Amino acid sequence: MSHPANHGRLCVRGWHVHEVASSPDRLRTPLLRKNGDLVPVTFDEAYDAIAENLSKIKKQSGPDAIGFLDSARVSNEDGYILQKFARTVVGTNNIDQGTSFYRTTTVNVLREMLGIAAATNPLEDVFTSKAIILNEIDIGQQLPTLGGAIIRAHLAGTKLIVVGSRRHRVTEHADIFLNIKPGTELFLYAAMAKIIVDRGLMDLDFIRTRCKGYESFLQNIQSFDILHAAHRCDVAPALIEQAVLLYCQNKPGMLLYPSATADIDHDALSAMVNLVLLSGNLGKKGSGILPLSEHNNAQGGCDMGVMPNCLPGYVKVTDATKRASIEKCWNAVIPQSQGRDAAEMLDSASPIKALWLDRHNPVVSASYKDAVEQIKKMDFVVLQNLFLTKTAQFAHVVLPVAAYGEEDVTFTSTERRVQLAVKAIEPPKGFVSAWQQVVAVANRMGARWDYTSPRNVLAEIAEVVPDYSGVTPENLGRDYGRQWPCTQDLPLGTPILFTESKNSRLFSFATVSMTPPEAGANQEFPFALTFGHSLYYWHQNTLVRHSETLKREYGILLLDFPEGFVEINDEDAKGMSIRDNQKIKIVSPKGSAQTFARVTSEVRKGSIFIPFFLQDVMKTIGRDNVKNTFVRIEKAG
Amino acid sequence: MRGRIIHKSDLVKIVEALMKTHRVVAPFAGRGRDSYFDVVTNENKNDIAIHVANPYYPPKRYVFPHMHKLMTIKAGDKPSIEPNCVDEKVAVFGMRSCDVEGVFHLDRFYLGNAFKDTYYEEFRNNLFIVNMVCTDTKTDIDDDCFCVCADAGTAAKAHFDLQLMDLHDESGEFLAVAGSEAGEALISQPFFRKATLAHVSRRKSVLGEVRKRFKTATSWYSAVTKYITHGGEIKDATWKKIGDRCLECGACSYVCPACTCFTVTDRPAGDGTFNRVRVWDACALSGFTRMAGGHNPRKAVHDRRNRRFFRKLSHYFIQREFTMACVGCGRCVRVCHGDIGMPQVVEILRRETAALLQQEKA
Repeated sequence: MSHPANHGRLCVRGWHVHEVASSPDRLRTPLLRKNGDLVPVTFDEAYDAIAENLSKIKKQSGPDAIGFLDSARVSNEDGYILQKFARTVVGTNNIDQGTSFYRTTTVNVLREMLGIAAATNPLEDVFTSKAIILNEIDIGQQLPTLGGAIIRAHLAGTKLIVVGSRRHRVTEHADIFLNIKPGTELFLYAAMAKIIVDRGLMDLDFIRTRCKGYESFLQNIQSFDILHAAHRCDVAPALIEQAVLLYCQNKPGMLLYPSATADIDHDALSAMVNLVLLSGNLGKKGSGILPLSEHNNAQGGCDMGVMPNCLPGYVKVTDATKRASIEKCWNAVIPQSQGRDAAEMLDSASPIKALWLDRHNPVVSASYKDAVEQIKKMDFVVLQNLFLTKTAQFAHVVLPVAAYGEEDVTFTSTERRVQLAVKAIEPPKGFVSAWQQVVAVANRMGARWDYTSPRNVLAEIAEVVPDYSGVTPENLGRDYGRQWPCTQDLPLGTPILFTESKNSRLFSFATVSMTPPEAGANQEFPFALTFGHSLYYWHQNTLVRHSETLKREYGILLLDFPEGFVEINDEDAKGMSIRDNQKIKIVSPKGSAQTFARVTSEVRKGSIFIPFFLQDVMKTIGRDNVKNTFVRIEKAG
Repeated sequence: MRGRIIHKSDLVKIVEALMKTHRVVAPFAGRGRDSYFDVVTNENKNDIAIHVANPYYPPKRYVFPHMHKLMTIKAGDKPSIEPNCVDEKVAVFGMRSCDVEGVFHLDRFYLGNAFKDTYYEEFRNNLFIVNMVCTDTKTDIDDDCFCVCADAGTAAKAHFDLQLMDLHDESGEFLAVAGSEAGEALISQPFFRKATLAHVSRRKSVLGEVRKRFKTATSWYSAVTKYITHGGEIKDATWKKIGDRCLECGACSYVCPACTCFTVTDRPAGDGTFNRVRVWDACALSGFTRMAGGHNPRKAVHDRRNRRFFRKLSHYFIQREFTMACVGCGRCVRVCHGDIGMPQVVEILRRETAALLQQEKA
């Protein structure tokens, strides 16, 4: 009721999350593969088997033959202990979040241009903002708590500019809807910057005192113009101009985009940040840029160093000085070379022989083409989960873990808010947190870790990660968590980043290049592909499947479209005489797949929307270059 | 009804008396304006919050649980069905008048017609309600409360076992009224004293003062009840506008003390065993009205959204259940992402429809 991020408002998933812990089909015991079958064993037997096998593989093939992947939903404690285990006990930097490929662009671009890869402002700032740009996210379905806040802010007078290739609920409230072709953000945002410069609407004071690289940026954007952008994005030039004016004349203004998108490339995101710098919308209440994470702890995972190239606190593994100070704290040696990321661990060239998966389920993730073949080949797979997932069929050890609500841990939300998740119910007998299981294995492999409670882990995190140095359970529990940097000097945290006016690090403008895309829609392949989630078919449904209500809602789509569907625009469908629920064939240069058409006006003309759970379709037609996959549709059957 | 007086410091004695025979739940204060119902134990009984914001998660779950196991079904060679009977006496201490009225509405729905819902009946017969009248204008009531428009508050007129009301005088006295035989028995205990006429007039003046606290004191339900009952007067565009603000979370139904809808589903429990459960359902969700063949008469979000208000405000239902299905607790206002709680919708419908009717006349 009083939480600053949602004021007690939950989405449909929040209302049903309790069904996960209470689900009758949770795993009940650890499982160990014996003679080809997974059989129930004790936790001690399972830990022994893991320690023995990992030690053996490490000895035979070296530490870099072992890889670690966790879910972007696991706690800070879980992520922190897992990466410490990988780095110091096993001795490899092969540690990553399973969904890392979504957020790599965000981490890279924001760190290069702003210095910090996180939301600059709290979510509640949408109520202070005078203009909001919402880029390519169905926020009403994906993040309803924020989507609702935007609707309410708009009702109170905030201007709303929605950019995207799909219509959605919040679009209906937009003052301006820029219904662009998928993957054309770069042209749009670069042209917007050009308009600002041409009309002299930039915040020169801010640029002079806080930014660098402005001169080369000015030269760079000369190659962009509004007519070209209008052509590429397929929206009216006047509309682009109106949007820029709305954003520049109503300050403070915010820009929101989904960080978990594979569709935004480095340059497109750079162009968005350029726009923010140019308008001076940074460091003030109601301004800023917010990468929105759909996973509850994607931010925390990054902060904890669950990345192959960074240690906790974004210390590059190659940075000898800073690495040494963490080594001193850990009293252990950290490998110096960058590890493999999630995609590299699971691609066909991967040398990984043993894999540790904490609640990550790569077998059903469409993002890895070769995951099944790769995991099948592995000598040893450890799985920590609540349920027997599809990946379990390839696992050698399965460890059931405590569920959300059964443990005292912390999570870091998309607004940098480090929050306590307090234990509300007892876990099933003998079940402990995932991090405690890692500790049990580590100590069997020679580590002398004496963490006795989550408090010890959090204390160490506060010691290692500078931005978390003021984080204690008491401090987090006093209000509703703290937004980092939460240090000993700033124990109350930092709701808004970059508020200091001088003597601070300068922000960098970026130059972007307008190389034409390799492929475009053509007569042979006239439709652009977009991929996405929906309210009910949430990612791969591991959790949704365990809620009766969510399962029903998901089941509705499956009953209507038992073999899955792709969405096509109603006018396009009419042109090809394709009816709703008709069997169709999607043909791409890489292959073809059959599915059913769901005809809707929500998708843009000339594009096709594929929900994320249609892995087979996605794999066959190829999603290597997501931005540039073009297909044609044929009637089938 | 007999009035009795109890001192603030003796309120815990009511709880203790009830704890001998009942599982007692009561409101407790959390951070900020957060509050929640929890089971009272000897450890926490002195922390019960008397004046506190009414908890979001409504006490209707003590008669109509969020998820309730009806039976366990075993398939296989020796199939069996085992009913799940919950025969436990529960007392809710500190239920607000709006929620008391909500329970009455559930009674009318589940027990007021030819078919009686046995599961509900079991819970209801085991429930003891201690109603706490909202009198503290700083904590008990907020800007979203509108029970005075829904004829549900601030003091419930019936349907409780015991009603308590803070008289807000220096002596710390509470007026107690019994609403049932069990309540009568309770107030005969020695820690209650006789009330005087002065206490009764004090009650009147406190209630009179409290009414001034409400931000929404006139919700103009009657106009909207008329539009909805007649049909055809509210334009589709108006419903569309309301529907566009719905993000389909279902919260308005989950937190509503008067919402009765549920679905029944079998939860797999492994080894061919299933738990048949009944779960709260919400008309905001698209699966709510979907038929077995796949047709959904209320597929579009605004068609689902208007259903809520037809159901709550149409005269047809009011006739059947004696009251409209809204008790003015304000929870739907607080949980709604798009600001389309009951008072907002009533206002939108009234203004837009009145304007349209005027245009048509002109």
